[in-house]
Amino acid sequence: MKADTEKKHLKRISHWKLYLVILLFGFIAVLFLSLNLGYAPIPYNDILRILTKQVPLLNSFVETTDITRTAEVIILQIRLPRVLCGALVGAALATAGVTYQGIFRNPMADPYVIGASTGATVGSALVLVLGVGVSILGVHTLQIFAFVGSLTTVLLVYGISRVGSRVPVTTLLLVGIAMSLFQTAIVTYLKTVASDKILHGLTFWIIGSLAPTESWDRVWAVLPFVIVGICISYFYSRNLNILALGEDQAQHLGVEIEKVKLILIVSGAFLTAAAVSISGLIGFVGLIIPHLTRVLIGPDHRILLPVSAIVGASFLMFCDALSRVVMGSGEAPVGIITALSGAPFFIYLLRRKKKGYNV
Amino acid sequence: MVNLNINGIDCSYGSTKILDDVQFAVKSGEFWGILGPNGSGKSTLIKSISRVLKPTKGTIFIDEADIYKLKTLDVARRLAVVPQDSPITFDFTALEIVLMGRNPHMSQFGMEKKEDLDIAKNAMDLTDTWQFADRSITELSGGERQRVIIARALTQEPQILLLDEPTNHLDICNQLEIMDLLTLLCKTKKLLIVGVFHDFNLAARYCDSLILLMNGKIVAVGESSRTLTKENVKKVFRVDAIVKTHPVTGALHVTPLSKPQNQPPKNLTVHMVSGGGTGSTLMKILTDEGYTVTAGVLHLLDTDYETAQLLKIQAVTEASFSPITDESHQANLELIRKSDFLVIASTQFGEGNLRNLEAAEKAQETGIPIINLEETPIAERDFSMGKASTYLTKLKNHGAITVKNTNELLQLLNSLEETLQQQKKQSADKTTPNAFHPLKSR
Repeated sequence: MKADTEKKHLKRISHWKLYLVILLFGFIAVLFLSLNLGYAPIPYNDILRILTKQVPLLNSFVETTDITRTAEVIILQIRLPRVLCGALVGAALATAGVTYQGIFRNPMADPYVIGASTGATVGSALVLVLGVGVSILGVHTLQIFAFVGSLTTVLLVYGISRVGSRVPVTTLLLVGIAMSLFQTAIVTYLKTVASDKILHGLTFWIIGSLAPTESWDRVWAVLPFVIVGICISYFYSRNLNILALGEDQAQHLGVEIEKVKLILIVSGAFLTAAAVSISGLIGFVGLIIPHLTRVLIGPDHRILLPVSAIVGASFLMFCDALSRVVMGSGEAPVGIITALSGAPFFIYLLRRKKKGYNV
Repeated sequence: MVNLNINGIDCSYGSTKILDDVQFAVKSGEFWGILGPNGSGKSTLIKSISRVLKPTKGTIFIDEADIYKLKTLDVARRLAVVPQDSPITFDFTALEIVLMGRNPHMSQFGMEKKEDLDIAKNAMDLTDTWQFADRSITELSGGERQRVIIARALTQEPQILLLDEPTNHLDICNQLEIMDLLTLLCKTKKLLIVGVFHDFNLAARYCDSLILLMNGKIVAVGESSRTLTKENVKKVFRVDAIVKTHPVTGALHVTPLSKPQNQPPKNLTVHMVSGGGTGSTLMKILTDEGYTVTAGVLHLLDTDYETAQLLKIQAVTEASFSPITDESHQANLELIRKSDFLVIASTQFGEGNLRNLEAAEKAQETGIPIINLEETPIAERDFSMGKASTYLTKLKNHGAITVKNTNELLQLLNSLEETLQQQKKQSADKTTPNAFHPLKSR
């Protein structure tokens, strides 16, 4: 029986491609579902034709004359960018979550663990409450400030934690906590001076929502960061595996530990900053998706990272679709849906394993 | 072939200097052991050789290359490390962990191939871990995990293997298996091995050379027979020890002795009749209790003789395998006369040492209390055609007390101590010898 172990291992690796194909089909299914759901339901058949019409070469084969111009605009100009933003944000948060859990060797780590969230909140609160920078940067001010706030906070935390040529993980996490507390105090102060209307907007932003993403410029703004970030994390996926043995051991196995740590933290910070800049602080995706995929396919980052990205993207698209239909006329912030559906599912996962949860 | 040269390195944590001018050189096919007390810098030495802690002074060379100038990956291809403890965060299987050893030999995006798996399987067979290749590393016991980590290091196919107390979590059977395996690899694959060990005897038995470290400095370096001496053990570990060549393994064997408990001296002298090691434990116990111990007649090279030497016990000696001469007998009587008790240990009696019982009889006549420790019945250890038994019976009839074990003996001595001290004082005052016999008065 043990002689099969080798074959089994090789087989498991060869199954990875199959998993990815299946998940990609799942992703496309959720994408169509998300395009279908909303205030004005549009039939799948129409959605398919509208989309195909946009593809060069294939567009001559489809006929869309029977579809209203309104439906076309809803799909192409409103729902598609929003759904794609949801996918990008979900993929970014899940990838950053896997990356940080790997670097910090801590299953409780999430993309916000070293200050990315509070940094973004300070940035957006400055814009919303005090109107900083709006005159210069115009309509994108909030996104730019959130992005810059998130990124600078993480880099600051990393810089402060540096001891000589090393950045000890414990110090990094503690500095992250201290920085979060400090920034929360700033945000709390800004809240006390804000008007009710602004406070409502800020709260909506903190919970996280994809409602402001119904335009293509948001997609183009974050797409490069998300693609590059995911690629960088994937490039170092085997190093992330080895990091599970501890930093010294990883170095003994040829990992240039401080370099890899810096690159991955910065790449994770870009992913997170890009995500929060367009959607606010959507919780749970970055924590739960890595756990879920690890339970399903094991801890090997070479498969964990791509699967997490796809599952994260699908999960957030799905939650966003729900957020558009559950409340009837209005819509619930997607952050509430992810927390409401994610937390119980997480607890279920924890309880399911008999011997306690092996991460 | 590979050479590892450590050239006068200093290492510090902050302002605390841990290693001070450490220098040695190791070649392929050599197995070196580092010994030293806690905090002597053993693990730090491994860290600095494995490129984790850069020395503040000095250099470390693998052949002609300074390891701190080589690339991490280049070092990893030549040098593997087995750490003291390996906490592993995620649920990898043992096989996946071992395969990580292939990392320095794979390209960034490479997947492990059949060859990599074969190398891993081979290493796992050697460390007897293939049986749980499929199991999660987090479910394995400490010893099993350590063997997996050693397999991972071997999968790296290094020329140099560093180990930081590799046998720490292993039970004795696995300890020996791992050490045998390391020796085999060292000799057959010409691996260069440097390991930190806690156990002198394991190190002495398997290592070609030893380094004794104390406070970050090398106290002794070289072949174990030259480094692991009684004097060095005392200096480095601050314990007295018996260092002997083990009759079976042929390796040096160190037996550390517990530290004396600093009992105040009792000003009472116990003379011991023993031999063949039967009195060794008692000599140590009585010395620790604060008694002055003398012994005789002991044959040279007898275990009890060696113990007496070690404990600095005054003893009358006789050449090995020789009967006790008149001269030694007289010297023994002389020594006995100065003692307050005479203890006869459960030793074997034959023609060679029968005169010791004669001496005991003489002692009894002069009023010295005799205690007969009879852990084994005399019939089983009388090789003098009953003469020893006769002596002992006579002694018993004249008041010698028989005790069954060391504890009883100590209790008896304690209960008699006060009476004896008094008697001693009286006899000193009145100069009337043997006015009072403590044993007969009971």
